[in-house]
Amino acid sequence: MKVLALIWSDESSWEKLSPEEREDWYAQYRSFASAADAKLAGGDELAPTRAATTVRVRGGQTTVTDGPFAETREQLGGYFVLDVQSLDEATELAAKIPGAKHGTVELRAAAEEEAA
Amino acid sequence: MKYLLLLNNDGAAVDSWRSLSPDEAAARRAEEVPRWNALFGWMAEQGVEVDGLELGDPNEARVVRVRDHETLVSDGPFAETKEQLGGYFLAECKDLDQAIELAQRVPVATTGSVEIRPIAE
Repeated sequence: MKVLALIWSDESSWEKLSPEEREDWYAQYRSFASAADAKLAGGDELAPTRAATTVRVRGGQTTVTDGPFAETREQLGGYFVLDVQSLDEATELAAKIPGAKHGTVELRAAAEEEAA
Repeated sequence: MKYLLLLNNDGAAVDSWRSLSPDEAAARRAEEVPRWNALFGWMAEQGVEVDGLELGDPNEARVVRVRDHETLVSDGPFAETKEQLGGYFLAECKDLDQAIELAQRVPVATTGSVEIRPIAE
């Protein structure tokens, strides 16, 4: 089954990190990604939420607003698509994502039609 | 440019899906098919390559945190919001304008929202 792992963390503390500190986190992500390689079906780091754009269509009119759709304490900073046997396996893998140590990893299973 | 498009369903719409019988749900899906097909047709015409996933029930979400080497697992989506993530597209678009063009054609945009997040360079 495919499970989307959304990585939420405090964007402002990330932006305060020095280049060396960031490189350390990137190294942790690279080692996670190489260790979990067979169980990863995708993943990306997102640009900061200030680059987000939200689109809604009501009564045939498109409204475009800057920023994410919801203000949250932590912000979505990236994701992985996990290819696993169960949600428990996804949970074990999620605990190894570096962001789980300071932020939150949210797991969302694919709809059954997709998983089949 | 690569963009992640987060397809957020209106919470009330998600709840109403739950009350449908399998046949009613299938009928409602069938009603939406032409709009999705129009979107996929537009993507093909524009040469926009997409990948994506439709997600299952947000109530079955799991939240994982690790603090002091201890793994904490809780149920439910991370954020309590009026709209809930129902799926995503990862699209290779020319620019943000094209991503907005795409977003406004997604059926979900008429009841919920589509959030566009550029992938970090």
